[in-house]
Amino acid sequence: MTRRKFIQKIMETAAAIAVGGFWLAEKTGLEKFVHAGKLKNYPGTLKPLGNINSQSKWSG
Amino acid sequence: MTVQCELCPKGCVIKPGQSGECRVRINVDGVLRTVVYGFPCSINIDPIEKKPFFHFLPGSKTLSLATVGCNLHCKNCQNWEISQANPEDSEAAFCPPEKLVELTQNYQCPSLSYTYTDPVVYYEYTYDAAKLARQAGIRNTLVTAAYINQQPWKQLLQYVDAARIDLKGISDDFYREVCSATLKPVQDAIVQTRASGVHLEIINLIIPTLNDKPEQIRQLVCWVRDNVGGDVPIHFSRFFPQYKMRNLPPTSPQTLDMAHDIALSEGLSYVYIGNVLSEKGQNTYCPGCKRLLIERSEYTVLQNYLREGCCPDCKKAIYGVWK
Repeated sequence: MTRRKFIQKIMETAAAIAVGGFWLAEKTGLEKFVHAGKLKNYPGTLKPLGNINSQSKWSG
Repeated sequence: MTVQCELCPKGCVIKPGQSGECRVRINVDGVLRTVVYGFPCSINIDPIEKKPFFHFLPGSKTLSLATVGCNLHCKNCQNWEISQANPEDSEAAFCPPEKLVELTQNYQCPSLSYTYTDPVVYYEYTYDAAKLARQAGIRNTLVTAAYINQQPWKQLLQYVDAARIDLKGISDDFYREVCSATLKPVQDAIVQTRASGVHLEIINLIIPTLNDKPEQIRQLVCWVRDNVGGDVPIHFSRFFPQYKMRNLPPTSPQTLDMAHDIALSEGLSYVYIGNVLSEKGQNTYCPGCKRLLIERSEYTVLQNYLREGCCPDCKKAIYGVWK
């Protein structure tokens, strides 16, 4: 193995370790949720309820 | 801090200020929040047959609602304007669970239906409303693709009376390519629903060239028969070009007829055809003596001959919730 190839191997290994370490750190640092809390305000536009006594145009 | 949403099998890893794939569950300062709780984009009173439920309180009205968002991204979605909308670009009314129950009572609907998009993504709203509705003697129905993890599904099912679940195909490739999802969690949820005692109906949208081959339909109905039972009603629905799938023709009535006949030949008792004007696959017949039990025209029940949930002639008990 030439010196150039040896250095290249070391660089590749170090990069792989760094990526793996970053991934692991991100995973272990994750806060996991099944249930979500509420938000008070709707991010879109609020509209009145309107007449609900009719069939929806949506499927289902 | 980055959070992970474990509600559905996607397990979205969400950075601060961003949302999961469903667009409605966001990371606010390291805490998962839902932006659609109490904010339905659609509330209407529909016939229960529109869901479709054919074996659940036939002929009744149901207060139906949805918020924007979906955890699937089906290329053929019929409601894509709301299911694939960003909350910030959408309109919604304020209607907390207490108000939903009040409206359902005021309009004398025996049930509340969480539908149109997918109640999985407005899970907390559905859960709280269903719990309140149950206390008020109102039934709860879900219209869903059931792409959800088992634990939250189990928790929700305790307040649910009926679930109409999409089984969109019977191959994982189909789910991945068309819906950006996977098959196994849906199958698990279907089995879990039946085991829980919640009334179950299944729908399959038949799309030309993608899931319309006789062997695919046979595989799907056999899975239903072998895993949840031949008495679970199945609806084959007609595809129309929509959203990102405008290159395919509508499903032919002959294909729907074929699916209907395959399902019956494989031992399913209640097989229906939807989204098409057809006399076939609209009515309910007794699987024992073949007597007509419920006659329908589109979403209208014309005649209901059932007596106490049984065939009036041979007295066979018919799967369903009838009162």
